[in-house]
Formats: sequence, structure tokens, C-alpha cells
Amino acid sequence: MREVPLVELHRRYGGSLGEFGGWLTSFDFRDPVAEHLAVRKAVAFFDVSHMGRFVLRGGRVLDFLQRLFAKDLSKVGEGYMSGPVLLLNEDAGMIDDVMLYRVREDLWYAVVNAPRISRDFEWLSSWRGRLGFSDVEIEDVTGSTTLIAIQGPKALEVVEGLGVKEAGSLRILQFVENVEVLGGRATLVSRSGWTGEEVRSHGFEIWAPVELGWRIFEKLVELGVRPAGLIARDILRLEAGYLLSGVDFNESTNPIEARYWMAFDLDKQGYVGYEKLEARYREGVERVRVGLRFKKGVRVVPRHGDPIVVGGTEVGHVTSGTYSTYLERAIAMGYVSSRYAYIGGTVHVNCRGKLYEAKIVEPPFI
Amino acid sequence: MLVKTRVGEYLVREDLYYTDTDEWVRISGDEAVVGITDYAQKKLRYVVSIELSRPGREVRRGEVIATLESVKAIADVYSPLDGLLVEVNEFLTSSPDAINKDPYGAGWIARLRVTGTLPKLMSPEEYAEYIRKREGSG
Repeated sequence: MREVPLVELHRRYGGSLGEFGGWLTSFDFRDPVAEHLAVRKAVAFFDVSHMGRFVLRGGRVLDFLQRLFAKDLSKVGEGYMSGPVLLLNEDAGMIDDVMLYRVREDLWYAVVNAPRISRDFEWLSSWRGRLGFSDVEIEDVTGSTTLIAIQGPKALEVVEGLGVKEAGSLRILQFVENVEVLGGRATLVSRSGWTGEEVRSHGFEIWAPVELGWRIFEKLVELGVRPAGLIARDILRLEAGYLLSGVDFNESTNPIEARYWMAFDLDKQGYVGYEKLEARYREGVERVRVGLRFKKGVRVVPRHGDPIVVGGTEVGHVTSGTYSTYLERAIAMGYVSSRYAYIGGTVHVNCRGKLYEAKIVEPPFI
Repeated sequence: MLVKTRVGEYLVREDLYYTDTDEWVRISGDEAVVGITDYAQKKLRYVVSIELSRPGREVRRGEVIATLESVKAIADVYSPLDGLLVEVNEFLTSSPDAINKDPYGAGWIARLRVTGTLPKLMSPEEYAEYIRKREGSG
């Protein structure tokens, strides 16, 4: 297991450490519910340095990425992030959803999910050889840099408080490079996050060398911004309806059944997995991902694997769920047989032997 | 008299007995009140719901008398002794996070009448040591 570079600060500020995706990082800083509410109502920050980061260089980088990623990346402007984009295997199974940053035509960054770092890196490297892109350089810089996400409606004033003058002018998914922060140089500052539509527009992420990341972490605490951990982050992303790689999808799930529309494009052709993906769309799928909204005030935590039931018949299962104190109800997502995927319909979820009523809804939940 | 002691961030009360499954027991005469320790609630984090046993039945030591569900995990609460389950804390059904806010008070879980012989329970000192051992090892 690797430790996130700022693990000492996690310890100092009360992080309860555990393993996620091969990294030792904080599940919470003593109060995940308050951390979650802080993001919804004010501001909190996450050290997400466990997320994988790759640098891709070379004159033909864009061509290379276009052959592997399921969206047309030529549409991503310089200084913008792509939003989540899928990396598919030849069978159209989802390897990972990746955030790509177009710094220049010949320089891109990628942020990938922690549990998938080596899989993604090996996949990209092997196709680099197979497709003859030996001039494209791929470097894994995870672990030698930090990534800090400042999220919530008050994020802008906090980031300005760190001295980032450009923060206010950034549009959603836009970033600036080589930014002065606390007298040091951050690799980039972006207007982005993973915590929800209404909050995302206010969120920022700072990618910085370890020494500067350390100072940013301490400064944020000094400014009274609460550090938050993975539990709060998971509740936030579920409320926002975002899928979690390895939990809500894996390589045996295809993007059609996951209805992960924002992360792939069937108009684009010629990328790995496209043929199978197109066939799946044409032939139809057996199951689809849906949101599940439980009744208000019913305190339960639906968990991965809980059966979804209609009239005594199991029609699917939950992939992730939580109890949101913000919404005062349990929410979940899962897969149901296509025949039962009625938006607005009522199902039951079997949580450890007890049936709970839930409505099939279209996420987001906030 | 000192009634509280701290092991790191965890509170151990000196007037209670403890189990190795992190319940506390307050014994007065033939009555025992049971809850989970500050250590246990801090490890579980925010408790979302609780399922309580129905009172009025005999329970054996080690039998599940309640199941807690937190944002982090599901945990059973075990009876620390043989006895009659006299009462459960119904207040927790609507406010399960009382266990987080006041584990040794409003967050009590069950009241039992002791029917068998009292088993060996941990003293506050032993329980404090038990926390230290687990914290130290990881």
C-alpha cells in the first residue's frame, strides 16, 4: 500500500486512515456528515492525491488519444478539461472514466481513478506500441504531486484567499497552468470537482508539487476550511449521480447499460471498443442503471449487492447507496433488468432481509 | 473521584465495565444497562439507523440485541451477559445518532435483568489497555 504524499497532515488533522485503491488516505476527518454538509452549504477541501495522474507528450498525442477514448477530443479547447471520458476494452467494457486536460496540442494530462492507475497505464502503453505511437510519451506522475479539491459555494473566496487571482474568471472545466499560489508555483488550477452540478461550478482543484501542496493544506486549515474524506466524497458524488469506477461499473459493464452518456460518443468512430459499443446500442441491453430514491425519513444504508425486487422477483441489484442527511433519505444506484426499468415506478430493495420501498428515478438526486 | 479517562481521543468511563466487542455495562443490583463505547461509536462514525431486539425475552451472553448501521459499516451489539431483556431504548429509532452524541448516556441501548452469574468483564483500565493495543497495531 502506498501513502498519499500528505499523509502526515492527514494524521495531524484527525484523518481516520484506511486503504482505498491501494492508497492509505483519509476516510473522514472525524465527522463525515458535517464534512458533507460543509461542501453543500459552505466549503471543504479534499486531498485527492490518490487519484492517478499521467502526463502525455508528443506531436501525435491527440491522434493517439482519439484512437483510445470514446469521445471526440478535438472538441476540447486548449486550457479546458474534457469531462469524464471512457476508456473501453475491445468488448466495449468500461476500463475507466478519465478526465483529460488539453494543455496544448502536444501536451495532455490525464486524471484517472486510483484503483485503475496501473490498468490504465498498461492499457495506454500497450496500445501505444500496437498502434505505432512510439513517439508519444506517457509518464505516471502520481505520488510525486498533490491534488487538492476545494469544493462548495464558498470555494471561490477561499481560492482567492490562496492568492489565485485568475480563479474568478475561470469557466467550468477551464484551467490555468503554472499558477502562483502562496508564493509557489502550482502545475494548474481548474474549476472542477466531483461533488455535484450545483457545486461543481464553484469547485476548484489545485494540482501542485508536494511541498506546495503541503503549504496549501495547512493554509486551508488555517483559513478555517474543513478537510473532508472519502465518505463525504462518496455521499456527494452519489447525490450528484456520478458513477464510481469499480463500484458502479467495471470491465464487464458497457456504457449503454450504464447509461453513461456524458462519457462516450457514438457519432465518433474508430476508437477501441467502438464496434462492440455500436452493436450493443443497436441490439439493446439486458439491464440498465437507474437511480433509486427511498422514502423520506427512512433510515437505511443500501449497499453494494442489495437485491432490487418487484413483486417478489429479483430484477436487479444495488451498486452503491448511502443515507444522505442533506436529503434526509437513502439514495442508491443500481442495475435493473431492462423490462423493469420504469422511471417513476416503485420497487423494493432488500437491505439485509428487510424490504424498503424506493422509486426508480433519473439521477441526480440534488 | 475521577470518572473519565481518555485514551487518545476516546473516552473511557471509570464507573462502567466493558466487553471485548466494545459494549459498556453499568451494573446496579441485578440490573444492567448496556450501550456501545465511545471508541466503538467513533470507529463506526455517524449512526444512521438501529434495529432493536424486542424486549421481554431471555438473552444469552454474546447474543445480538441490536444492529447498528452507520455511514461506514454495519455492527451488531451483543449482550454482555445472560439475562432478561427488560427494555430497549426506543428513542434511538428516531434519533440513532444519540449514540454518537452521548454514547454513555442518551445513547444507551438496552436494560437487562441479570439472571445468570456475572461473566468476567473488563475493568476500565483493562478496556483502556485494549484500545491502546488495537490503536498501536494499526
